[in-house]
Amino acid sequence: MAAKINGPLLKVEDLTLRYLTRGGEVRAVEGVSFELEQGQALGLVGESGCGKTSVANSLMRLLPDNARLAGGQVWLRGEDIFALEEDEVREYRWRRVAMVFQAAMNSLDPVYKVGQQIVEAIEAHEIEGTISAARERVARLFRLVGLDPALMDRYPHEFSGGMRQRAVIAMALSCDPAVIIADEPTTALDVIVQDRILRELKAIQQQLNMAIIYISHDIAVVAEVTDRIGVMYAGHLVEYGNTADVFRAPLHPYTDALLGSFPSVTGERRPLAGLSGEPPNLIDPPAGCPFHPRCPRATQICQEEFPPQAWEGTQWAKCWHPMNAGAEAPSDVELEAASDVGIVEQSAHGEGG
Amino acid sequence: MTGYLVRRAGQMVLTLFLIITFAFFLVQAQPGDYATFYALDPDIPPEVKQQLRASFGLDKPLWEQYLIHLKNTVTGDFGVSFGHFPRPVMDVLVERVPRTAVLFLSATVLSFYIGFFLGKAIAWRRGGWLEYTATISGATLFTVFTPAFALMMIWIFAFRLGWLPVGKFLDPLVWRHADVSANYVFGQMLLTAFLFTAFAFLVLYLLKRTGRVGLARWAGPLIAVGGVAALFVWSFSGVGGLALDILKHMVLPIVTLTLISFAGTMLLTRNSMLETVREDYVMAARAKGLPEKMVRDRHAARNALLPVVTSLVYSLVFAIDGSVIIEVVFSWPGTGLTLLQAVRTEDLPLVMGAMVFIGLFSLLAHAIVDVLYVYLDPRIRYQ
Ligand SMILES: Nc1ncnc2c1ncn2[C@@H]1O[C@H](COP(=O)(O)OP(=O)(O)OP(=O)(O)O)[C@@H](O)[C@H]1O
Ligand SMILES: [Mg+2]
Repeated sequence: MAAKINGPLLKVEDLTLRYLTRGGEVRAVEGVSFELEQGQALGLVGESGCGKTSVANSLMRLLPDNARLAGGQVWLRGEDIFALEEDEVREYRWRRVAMVFQAAMNSLDPVYKVGQQIVEAIEAHEIEGTISAARERVARLFRLVGLDPALMDRYPHEFSGGMRQRAVIAMALSCDPAVIIADEPTTALDVIVQDRILRELKAIQQQLNMAIIYISHDIAVVAEVTDRIGVMYAGHLVEYGNTADVFRAPLHPYTDALLGSFPSVTGERRPLAGLSGEPPNLIDPPAGCPFHPRCPRATQICQEEFPPQAWEGTQWAKCWHPMNAGAEAPSDVELEAASDVGIVEQSAHGEGG
Repeated sequence: MTGYLVRRAGQMVLTLFLIITFAFFLVQAQPGDYATFYALDPDIPPEVKQQLRASFGLDKPLWEQYLIHLKNTVTGDFGVSFGHFPRPVMDVLVERVPRTAVLFLSATVLSFYIGFFLGKAIAWRRGGWLEYTATISGATLFTVFTPAFALMMIWIFAFRLGWLPVGKFLDPLVWRHADVSANYVFGQMLLTAFLFTAFAFLVLYLLKRTGRVGLARWAGPLIAVGGVAALFVWSFSGVGGLALDILKHMVLPIVTLTLISFAGTMLLTRNSMLETVREDYVMAARAKGLPEKMVRDRHAARNALLPVVTSLVYSLVFAIDGSVIIEVVFSWPGTGLTLLQAVRTEDLPLVMGAMVFIGLFSLLAHAIVDVLYVYLDPRIRYQ
């Protein structure tokens, strides 16, 4: 690993990803940029299909065969992860960035004991010298996530949903990764277990001082456990800021709509308040702001040009007509500046400090 | 598990009973009985005919005959073969059954290995030359008319190239001065094969038990040493040449059977593997930073194996069916050929005996696959 250099732990810049399909190119991720510091928790939220998992898989360098990186860079501790050779990628995965998968239920292999599947990762990265040391480590991880270490010699089908979820979290922690990505870690669980596991994960993250990225379509769930929130729509990161700020005063009309769609107490989800229609087809997204067909505030310009960033302190949104009256409406000068990556990056730096 | 095994054994006994019963009544359903053969002879006086029928027990009512037959079969007494008179049926079968078993077990194991290996390779790398070659040739061989293909193999490798014998179990010229019987040599060969397999498994098991990763690489060399030692003993035993002669006769039928049957396993493995590579746990294995080979073998292929093993039962049954054809074409004196000859010569005791043995064999095969399946898939626990 490259020597530590000053700067953010993880830096994603202008990440752009396409999937080649028979129907055409799916524009799954469009120029996404963000940074993550050690110990920080970032939430990525957005409706289904907006590209959250694609961002996560890019960070893992775990993309399907038909994916094509169309631009952008990702640095982890100053190292360009897209420049890694195949062998280095294997070392990088799990050791630097580990993942709690979206389908945690199915990410355990049914034919091996749960403990063995974690030992396998520890062995692959030579974290411990012997198998007994590796098993000892798994036992510690089990205790950390609230599982009885005696369960490590059980098979996945003998675990309940919540137990499997904990085991998968233990697996993600097994190689001391710098960043953990939790992709909808709890969607398959009932609300109470979901809540408890999220809180525990948050406590572990703070205890180990790790960076974590929570991915969910439920902004309320993510808001409880994160410092920053990024809102994605149709492959774009459309709003970014401190969780408290975004929650209290969203800038983007889409974020506002997401906040209005809180799950009710019974856990069922109401449709996005005041929003009709569906997210656009990413093969042929609308011109201008991709949200304009569903946006109550859309005007002529929204159909023609992609909006620049509108700032409010450290919070920004890519919108022509941000919600907060105080947010600076982008002037012509800023319009030009926004198309210039250098300046956007500069402001991102300012915000990071 | 024990409870399951006991019940499973009970089921097998019941099935075997049904097979014996079915074989008996099937034979009874044929017109006439053995004594009819004499009944038409005008030189035999009627009272002698009557006596003959009585000596065969044919004057007794059918249910009594059935009970006697059942009692005899259960005690391992299949009677005396008419065709191989005066050898008891049991004696003939004990000689023939292992020959068939060896032929078909080797072919099944070989075709399973080849099929599984090719299947996982072509599913892992789609669209390569290997996929086209293996799929096309495999499917062709799988659908080809078996006797024609077997004859073609004989024509190429025995007649044109002269590499291998045309058929039969051994070459009488080689055995002319031998002072041991073919059955003895073959028995020793079976024993060697069994001991060697047990040795190989023991080595693998013990090395795994130690828990040290580095030691596993010694498994291959150690097993090879065992194999060389076995060959060494054989070459000084004085009957090595005779064993080699039997081996030579085995090659062509085994290769032929393997070629016509490996594609089934291959295509099934491929399809099964195309499903498992999309599973989340395969993605997770890759995310954990495991080498591709491990992702493929330990996770994708290991799970793809499950439905393939289920199909092993069918391929074993297929092998039994094919045994008559292959044994006839290669004049291999196994159970299939024996059964066919017995039917032709109305050697009824032998027919019934062979049917019971074939039934027993397929029952055992089923049971072995069931137990193997429990071992392979932890989700399955028989209560
Ligand atoms: N391998 C693929 N080939 C083609 N299109 C894909 C592929 N994977 C994802 N997509 C498409 O890319 C877009 C983004 O998908 P992604 O899985 O990143 O979304 P997501 O935000 O994680 O959604 P969800 O909340 O449903 O998990 C979607 O439109 C999806 O259909
Ligand atoms: Mg997703």
